Amino acid sequence: MQRWTSQALAVPPRASWQRADLEFEGVEHDGPSFVMHVFLNNPGADEATPRTPEQRYAGYLTVFAHGDCWGDVGHCDIPEPVSAFDRRPPHPLIPFDATLEITDSLGALPDGTGEITVTVLAFNKHGDDDGVLRFKELTLLTYA
Amino acid sequence: MSITARPAPNAAPARLKVRKSIDSLSAQELADFRRAVKQALALNDKRGFDYFASWHGVPFGWCQHHDPLFLPWHRAYLYWLELALQSEVPGVTLPWWDWSKDATIPSAYSSAQADGEVNVLAKAPIKAFNTTSKSGWPTETSRAPGEVPQTPGPPYQQEWAYAMKATTYSDFSQRIWTVHDTVHVWVGGTFAQVDWAAYDPLFFAHHANVDRAWRIWQAAHPGANPPANILDESLQTDPAMKVQATLDVHQLGYEYAGTQSTVPGSA
Repeated sequence: MQRWTSQALAVPPRASWQRADLEFEGVEHDGPSFVMHVFLNNPGADEATPRTPEQRYAGYLTVFAHGDCWGDVGHCDIPEPVSAFDRRPPHPLIPFDATLEITDSLGALPDGTGEITVTVLAFNKHGDDDGVLRFKELTLLTYA
Repeated sequence: MSITARPAPNAAPARLKVRKSIDSLSAQELADFRRAVKQALALNDKRGFDYFASWHGVPFGWCQHHDPLFLPWHRAYLYWLELALQSEVPGVTLPWWDWSKDATIPSAYSSAQADGEVNVLAKAPIKAFNTTSKSGWPTETSRAPGEVPQTPGPPYQQEWAYAMKATTYSDFSQRIWTVHDTVHVWVGGTFAQVDWAAYDPLFFAHHANVDRAWRIWQAAHPGANPPANILDESLQTDPAMKVQATLDVHQLGYEYAGTQSTVPGSA
């Protein structure tokens, strides 16, 4: 299991938003498929932690991924367009953005909560403790 | 809803084919479907099952995931495969596996034997189309439910309901692809690997249910289409199909139904 905890993310006053999303930007999916469980303000969460509102569990995402590279050397490298007229489809391994709506779990935090950390527990079939979840950045988006 | 649609301008209305739950197929319907898959598995040319499986992962890799094209691409994919199966056994349609209600893989896809033969829906050879296999490639499909620890298992009733609550195509697409991913990861084995998943006949029952979800959501949200800037985009299938052409299942000649009961008329 890989555990990752974010730096603090600012949370606006509860009255100012109706919906909240966590956006995992640039998620890599070139390795084994994996599942990730997300907790708010619970950096000590582990695989035995109940996935309950009391533990500030926010939900899960799974990523159906490609697994090992099956091609020749360079097959899974994401190429740059070779010209401005390159109309080939995007490479299938381009990272994607994953959204987890956390309206209820964020809204359940005590009034006046000004920031949160996000802890992710990520699991793949190999039991790896590193490199399961790889992504560029995490954003908390709220919508009025 | 309707049971007919015009296939083309000025054409007479034609009867839509109905995709049914795998659990509601009659014994004859299931036997016909198995026969179609078995015959398609035996073909090594572009009519064959392996050719279509090759579109999704190895060797062609045409599938679209985690993207607004996810639903249109897979709808086109199922459409072309279903036609190929109907060429083998007229009238067959792709059944769906309702993982929002079922707690496990349907027995029609998991029983090792069916009608005294090896069940072709349970396991299939992996023969990448016109491609020489490499060391380490799987030679047959596999499933290993629970292989990825801590992956929630079916039924995915809450996830389905959450997707259905979406009010925009973007939200619906993301929510349904998320539960779609979960099904793949929970089933495990080659089913959890994009490159090999489509060699498993179960793949198409899974995706028929994803497509059914889109159909149901579309009916509740008329006009909630994919972004306008992708409607003219050509989906990479053989032959290609534009996104716009995938929006109306009636124009593709099918519909989903929970039940179908027909009796002779008075003529």
